Amino acid sequence: MARVNSLIVLDARDNIAIALQELPVGMRIEQSDIASALEVQTVIPRGHKIALVDIAKGEAIIKYGERMGHAFAPILRGSHVHTHNVIGDRVSTEPTA
Amino acid sequence: MSGSEPSLLTGYPRKNGRWGFRNYILILPLHNVLNQLAEEVRLNHPAQSVITSVAHDWSGEIDSDWDRIHRVFSGFAVNPNVGATIVIGVGSAAEEEIVEAARAKREMPIAYLTLRDSGGFDNLRQRLMESVSEVFPLVASIKRESAPWSAIVLGLECGGSDAYSGITANPALGVASDKFVELGGTSILAETMEILGAEHLLAARAKTPEVGQAIIDVVARYERSITYEGIDIRGAQPSRGNIEGGLTTLEEKSLGAAKKAGNAPFTGVLDYAYLPTEPGLYFMDTPGHDIEQLTGFAAADVNITVFTTGRGTPTGSAVIPTIKAATNTEMATALPDLIDLNAGTIADGTETLAEVGARIFNEIIEVANGKLTAAEKGGHREFNLSRLYGSTQ
Repeated sequence: MARVNSLIVLDARDNIAIALQELPVGMRIEQSDIASALEVQTVIPRGHKIALVDIAKGEAIIKYGERMGHAFAPILRGSHVHTHNVIGDRVSTEPTA
Repeated sequence: MSGSEPSLLTGYPRKNGRWGFRNYILILPLHNVLNQLAEEVRLNHPAQSVITSVAHDWSGEIDSDWDRIHRVFSGFAVNPNVGATIVIGVGSAAEEEIVEAARAKREMPIAYLTLRDSGGFDNLRQRLMESVSEVFPLVASIKRESAPWSAIVLGLECGGSDAYSGITANPALGVASDKFVELGGTSILAETMEILGAEHLLAARAKTPEVGQAIIDVVARYERSITYEGIDIRGAQPSRGNIEGGLTTLEEKSLGAAKKAGNAPFTGVLDYAYLPTEPGLYFMDTPGHDIEQLTGFAAADVNITVFTTGRGTPTGSAVIPTIKAATNTEMATALPDLIDLNAGTIADGTETLAEVGARIFNEIIEVANGKLTAAEKGGHREFNLSRLYGSTQ
């Protein structure tokens, strides 16, 4: 089967998408459900999240149209979104970065 | 289309207002010594194709979870997919109570045969064969009719989840669930441990503040029970494997499971094996164990289920057609006779969530209308009582 998309956008409200393959730095992604071409800034492993917009420190991460946590460091569009820059809203062990 | 208009859906109308998508004769043993007899008669009776039966390990003990056992057996006996039920027992007051409760729940043929009244095993076998023959023409005379959308009572389940569950089969099932809820059907999300961490997000979707609080309370009760056992789920989740797979927070992991229920508002919260009273989306407080959940659904008038799986769990119910949706193409290809539908195409990038959601919606209608599921073809009739405590007797 031919691969059509490299990302899944789970909900139109989301500020992240899921990589369907490992995305190398510099890759340009254009697909119908993304507003404008997205350039990959850091390697995104398969199944991991990529920022669709610039996300400020403290801003919510929206997946499935719902708040799954927040950024504790700024995240640039096209960068990896994971435990190094995002934490849940309700976990008591949250770092006070 | 509104709930009262005829649709492309067909089913068997029941006198309590529910609809069945199957029309079984159920042989229900109420003591584990009779499991084999139920199975033997099912396999040897000429009406075999319409008979279903279960096996379990209850042998009449009455512990502090008696209410739960009573509710599960009496509810299971009258599931809308059953046209007639023959209960077999050893002959005890507890069994009589269960049969009486079943008869009060739905007007339908319910026979009760006992080892004691029959005068032994051979006579009970003979009476059971005769009883099936007697009820068969009655059940066969019930015909499929055009059914309203409100006939759908959809159970949402996942088991053997993988890294794709939350991005393929679960949200695609949510698309289908949302559509049925919008059309006037009922849909039930369950597995309390799986929503822990996302309960505040689900509560925000409740139709009333009371329902929202009930969602929070159910999770808090579960969390207290596991904290008592010395387990800290919030601290241990997501697991290292989850994080390697790309999951970052507990909310995210739990949302991945809860998205089987799409984005619809919650109409109510149900205790284990309690019936939804009006159409809409519900949350049922159940264990994470697949078969215990499925049994609780069956006792709550669920008449069709979609089960998303990453590993190909073969589980099926004795009374509910259970549609298996694979989360990844590799497993769907490797285990074709366990899978009804592949949602892995979303991760392959060849189909969208909306497209797979539409396929699941159509598959539910086809299966409701009589198409057999992989689990039905495979003869899966799993049943498990969910015991609150180990037996003390």
